[in-house]
Amino acid sequence: MPGATQGGPGLPVARFAAFSFVDRITSIDGLSRVEGVYTIPSGVAFFPVSLVAEAIGQLAAWVAMSHVAFNRRPVAALAGETRIHSLVQPGDTLALEVDIESCDEDAIVYRGRASVNGRLVLELLDTIGSMLDTAEFDEPSRLSADFTVLTGAGRQPGLFPGVPQPVLTTLSHEPGLSLTARMDVPADGSYFADHFPLRPVFPATLMLDAQLRLAQQLASEAAGTPVRVTRITNVKVRAFTAPGATLELFAEHAAAAEPDGQMLVKVGARADTRTIAGAKMYFATDSGETQ
Amino acid sequence: MADAVITKDEIMAVFPTVQKTMADALGCDEDDIKLDVSLIEGLDAESIDFLDMVFRLERAFKIKVPRGKIIEDVRGEMPVEEFEQGGVLTEKGLARLREYLSEIPADRFKTPMRVDQIARLYTPETFCKLVIRAQRAQQAG
Repeated sequence: MPGATQGGPGLPVARFAAFSFVDRITSIDGLSRVEGVYTIPSGVAFFPVSLVAEAIGQLAAWVAMSHVAFNRRPVAALAGETRIHSLVQPGDTLALEVDIESCDEDAIVYRGRASVNGRLVLELLDTIGSMLDTAEFDEPSRLSADFTVLTGAGRQPGLFPGVPQPVLTTLSHEPGLSLTARMDVPADGSYFADHFPLRPVFPATLMLDAQLRLAQQLASEAAGTPVRVTRITNVKVRAFTAPGATLELFAEHAAAAEPDGQMLVKVGARADTRTIAGAKMYFATDSGETQ
Repeated sequence: MADAVITKDEIMAVFPTVQKTMADALGCDEDDIKLDVSLIEGLDAESIDFLDMVFRLERAFKIKVPRGKIIEDVRGEMPVEEFEQGGVLTEKGLARLREYLSEIPADRFKTPMRVDQIARLYTPETFCKLVIRAQRAQQAG
């Protein structure tokens, strides 16, 4: 129901709600720094680490869009390095901060971080958002109105209904070494009405979460013990994925240990034979301190 | 766009770093990054890859390369309407492009040529020259 704007009891959750992770923008210092907050609804089953990165990216996106009168918006992203310090839980309130290095009609370059009660949970470094024409994805006037809400009293929190994890079907598997799986992107889902209202696109951060599941399985098999992701580098998404698409996800464990003893798993996604996304994920033995 | 001639020695001095940076950005082997390979047709580079490469080159060489710098440099002081019309390069614009991208074989320039097709010509050597020009501009203050 792309026309719906708000959720709430008995109402559909769609635009500016189903995949929006900034509740309020609390501070904007020109085009250099912006802060905001987002509370993870306590009712969601889980909130993947990739959505914490999404929240930081969305905060940066609001400022970038406002800088160019909402005629351009960052869509595809490159994330040089993501450091995961600890996991978040439903009910947590994320304090979001973004430092903008540069922003123009073509790209925004920034770094950001998220904290919960003063505890740093995630950092994004060397992040670039490629700016595209907004009109392909959303209505500039509506985004402008949404921005006014966010910079004022804020939007109604708690509207995110959660997202189901896409089913992964294993295609090949060498335990601890490599894994490929088919991912059938859902043909519908409330988040498509928010990402994006005029052109539904499967969120890259949800694809990244699926890739993380594969990589974590491989790393855990290789280590013979539970592992936790500590860093994700070289994230690049080269194409849009439409609802109902089929992707092949792959993960390969690099045999040699990293200098710091961490395990490296390279992941990617293919549509037909074309590689449309890739990243490197680093894992350490999970001693339980991040839970 | 007038600038001093860029020598082969200058290009080869920056090429190893450009080669490594591009291989990292494109996820390919360094050996695949030849000076004269077409980045789009030979290495499947896409627009997001160009953004990635320029960002990495800025970091690697500690330079600043404004987005759209190549096209801007090609046009130089030439008024936009003399350079292109309706997104297609004029005769003067095409001549200026051939001069600027002197490393590209003549048969790769199409006539007529759209502005949005220019990136199809780019090779690693194009980016070596971009780096050298940025270094010179930085040194000139």
